[in-house]
Amino acid sequence: MRVLWRLWKRMRNFAIRRNGAPRLREEMEQHLALQTEENIRAGMKPEEARRQAALKFGPAEAIQESYHAEAGLPRIERLLQDVRYALRRLRRAPVFTVTATLTLALGIGATTSIFTLVHAVLLKSLPVSKPDRLVRLGKEADCCVQGGYFRDKDYSLVSYELYTHFRDKTTGFEEMAAFQADGNFLAVRRVHDARAAESYFGEFVSGNYFAMFGVSAYAGRALTRSDDEFGAAPAAIMSYRVWQQTYGLDPSVIGSEFNINGKPFTVVGVTPPGFFGDTLKSMAPDFFLPLATEPLIQGDSSLLKHADAGWLEIIGRIQPGADVRSIEAQMQVELHQWLRSHLNEMDANAAFDIPKQVLYLSPGGDGITSMRQQYEDWLRILMIVSGFVLLIVCVNVANLMLVRGLERRQQMALSMALGAQPMRLIRGALTESLLLSLLGGALGLAVAFAGSRLILRFAFETMTAVPIRTSPSIPVLLFAFGISLMTGIAFGIAPAWMATHADPVDALRAANRSTRRVGSLPRKTLVVLQLALSLVLLFAAGLLTAALHNIEHQNFGFELDGRTVIHIDPVLAGYKPEQLELLYRRIHDSFANLPGVASVACVQYSPMSGDSWSLPISVEGKLELGGNADTEAWWARVVPGFFDVIGDPIIKGRPIDERDKAGAQHVAVINEAFARKFFKNEDPIGKHFGKSGMEYANEFEIVGVARDARYLTYNLEKPVGPFFFLPSTQSTSYRDPFAASSEIRSHYLHDLVVRMRPGATLSESLARRTLASVDPNLAIVRMQTLSDQVANTFSQQRLISRLTSLFGILALVLASIGIYGVTAYNLASRTSEIGMRVALGADRSDIFALILRGSFLLVAFGLLFGLPLALGVGRFLGSQLFGLSPFDPIVLATAGITMALSGLFAAFVPAYRGSSISPMQALRSE
Amino acid sequence: MTPSMKQKTDVQQGTLALMVLKTLDVLGPLHGYGIAKRIEQISGDLLSVNQGTLYPVLLRLEQEGAIESSWGASENNRRARYYRLTREGRRQLQAEVRDWRQTTGIIARFLTAKAEQLS
Repeated sequence: MRVLWRLWKRMRNFAIRRNGAPRLREEMEQHLALQTEENIRAGMKPEEARRQAALKFGPAEAIQESYHAEAGLPRIERLLQDVRYALRRLRRAPVFTVTATLTLALGIGATTSIFTLVHAVLLKSLPVSKPDRLVRLGKEADCCVQGGYFRDKDYSLVSYELYTHFRDKTTGFEEMAAFQADGNFLAVRRVHDARAAESYFGEFVSGNYFAMFGVSAYAGRALTRSDDEFGAAPAAIMSYRVWQQTYGLDPSVIGSEFNINGKPFTVVGVTPPGFFGDTLKSMAPDFFLPLATEPLIQGDSSLLKHADAGWLEIIGRIQPGADVRSIEAQMQVELHQWLRSHLNEMDANAAFDIPKQVLYLSPGGDGITSMRQQYEDWLRILMIVSGFVLLIVCVNVANLMLVRGLERRQQMALSMALGAQPMRLIRGALTESLLLSLLGGALGLAVAFAGSRLILRFAFETMTAVPIRTSPSIPVLLFAFGISLMTGIAFGIAPAWMATHADPVDALRAANRSTRRVGSLPRKTLVVLQLALSLVLLFAAGLLTAALHNIEHQNFGFELDGRTVIHIDPVLAGYKPEQLELLYRRIHDSFANLPGVASVACVQYSPMSGDSWSLPISVEGKLELGGNADTEAWWARVVPGFFDVIGDPIIKGRPIDERDKAGAQHVAVINEAFARKFFKNEDPIGKHFGKSGMEYANEFEIVGVARDARYLTYNLEKPVGPFFFLPSTQSTSYRDPFAASSEIRSHYLHDLVVRMRPGATLSESLARRTLASVDPNLAIVRMQTLSDQVANTFSQQRLISRLTSLFGILALVLASIGIYGVTAYNLASRTSEIGMRVALGADRSDIFALILRGSFLLVAFGLLFGLPLALGVGRFLGSQLFGLSPFDPIVLATAGITMALSGLFAAFVPAYRGSSISPMQALRSE
Repeated sequence: MTPSMKQKTDVQQGTLALMVLKTLDVLGPLHGYGIAKRIEQISGDLLSVNQGTLYPVLLRLEQEGAIESSWGASENNRRARYYRLTREGRRQLQAEVRDWRQTTGIIARFLTAKAEQLS
């Protein structure tokens, strides 16, 4: 109690800066006066009496000091003194302070933002309870629907029937849930709401989906097993985002009726704010519907009843203590049992292959990691790049601290000679480093906040709702801060420690008279390292930029200018397959009549839209293409006039036109790659091929060959693959139920491509009105120009190349600062030497060359060491370069010259200043 | 500083506070010089030099709440700081006197002990 009371008083004294000095002085005066009076009474002379009194009182200074120490908090006061002193010193060297602080801030901030992103995308678990007990079926993320009973790799997408088979037979799971591998757009409208239907992303999930994740509803209730029974009243759960953004958290939404694709649903609850579903992806589902309602929504293209359509992912929560490997073995057996029960639907070869079908269980706590797979490569590149930048930052800070420490050698020697304690001097240097690091760290935090938000915006600019939080990751921030703090401290203390352990006399004597430059080797090494690293980053940035330029300005095989793509979903509006032909004709006619529109065409999916359909084909008369041969080809359904609208010329035969009616000969237009791959030197016109099995090999007659066009958003580094176009009017009835269902789905054309006359533009509101005049239930999911659609494909690449360039420039600036520092410091320590040389007859250019020579060497060494590193990094980038050689000589030369020029420019400034030193000035400066 | 001097200050730190409290208890409010005088009179040469060391001790006691101080007029009609024992200080004094008596009693018995008593 007493101790606390005393501490409180001392803190108060400290805080209000009361040290009791006036009071003590007065008391001392009084004490001495009384003692003196008494001494006089005892018979002393006044001066003697005063002297004796003072002697008896003791050493006044020491007493004051100990009094002062009792009154306040001396340690903290000393610390404050150190801080004040360090701040004063930093203020006196503004260039050093600003450079060091900015360097630290940029390094810490940049590294933190990148790692925050990496952490969010690559390392984080789903926001559900106990994610470590979740397992999922399959190793990699597959999308979206897989036909047939057989998988090339392991089993991951299952049919509804297989899911129920697993769910009911497997022991060891608390819950096993299934959900759609890819979502659908849904046209959603609240009943009795004046607003038109809007399109939202939705996903079908099993009734125990929320129970399995351990996620309860934020409001209302979650979906349950009973919602997922056939015949149950259709129920849906809404995301918090929609509840907040569209319905303003209106509680009456819960329990109210909604029209989803024209079917009545009750919204029973709202998901928690942080829950984004099972997959981290660009579009988080806004509505979760029970699997049992899938046939209601999808109608004829429903997959639920097809045992051979794999469209569901499985994630389950295992019982505590259950062994994943034994569950896996159990499910393996169940899979083979189930496959055998469908023997009569397979051909003989397939039945023979049943034992080869395998499945794996993998940790499911991270959800489906397609985004991770998609972004992994480039996030890794960015991580390495930012690691390099952090390294350069540390090197720069180390260099700056070393220079500063060496500058203070003399001053330290003088302090030592005057009796300063070595510890106090080292503590001074330490305080300075700590202050700098704290300043840099604080600024770095600001950079990190701004940076992660910015990067996220750039990175996912096309996304509507990114379920990633932008607040910088604290451990990463601490890590970056810790690294730079340690660098600062180590390289701040080291020179101080050396200085305090040197003989002051030596240091003072050697001060200005020497041509030997002490301690310049470590600094030069650091600068060379920096230059090498910045060469690496510049080279990487150059490669990525050049690759991006190549790919963005390649010949796509179709025209980009003046085309607008309107993405619609007729399934949303509840169209039946037989109504589609008329619908597309009406859409075509109403858009074709708009002012400024040159031509219009509907297509299943437009070039570079991100969608793609592919399957193995069979060619009539080519039996060698059966079995295991690679016969994969991509395809899309189009309406007459399509090739003209996107500007893809037909180089042989004819395009798909009005002759290709439903009852006419089934035709196809192929691309050059198709012709090359399957017909080599033959003329493909008039030949036949088919899809979905050898028995259909004569299904389509080839009537034309279109020029190769980049249709897909992947395989960009490879030549265009085989592609064929089918008319939207013709369809085949396939015996295989999955092929039949996919045949139906292929007739829903999602993209409307509008070609405008030069100078004309199509406004979104006009497009909406026009579409509404055809059918008010048709919603525009997305509308953008074709060139934007293509550009969006490369937004990732653009982001990496921009960020890498940014980092490259940052590294270059830092390295230039490094060269500048070294040269300027050398110059300062050689002022008198240069003065002497000039006095002895050296002319200005000699001096200039003398100073610049050193920097030339640094740059040369930087290039020498950077070159192999840069080539190594080029190799690493490999697949990200879309066919650009990782050793591209032009890029390498540009990077090298840029680095050398900026390095020399940085050295040029101090060299110029050095060469204009006059001997008088030099000698006086001592 | 020689070892013997250091020992002497150590003793002072411990005992000086007790002496201050006892002096104020017996004589009532006093100023610094007065306290120093009394301690010198009673303890002989313990405080005949370095009387100034008394003031940090006074400050500490005041911060601990054992004594309080206020300005008043001294005998030569100057302003002087008068120190006065608080209730807390009296309690502290009693406790310390008891401890001190106990300690000295034990030590005294120990020092006067004969060989046969220890065996």
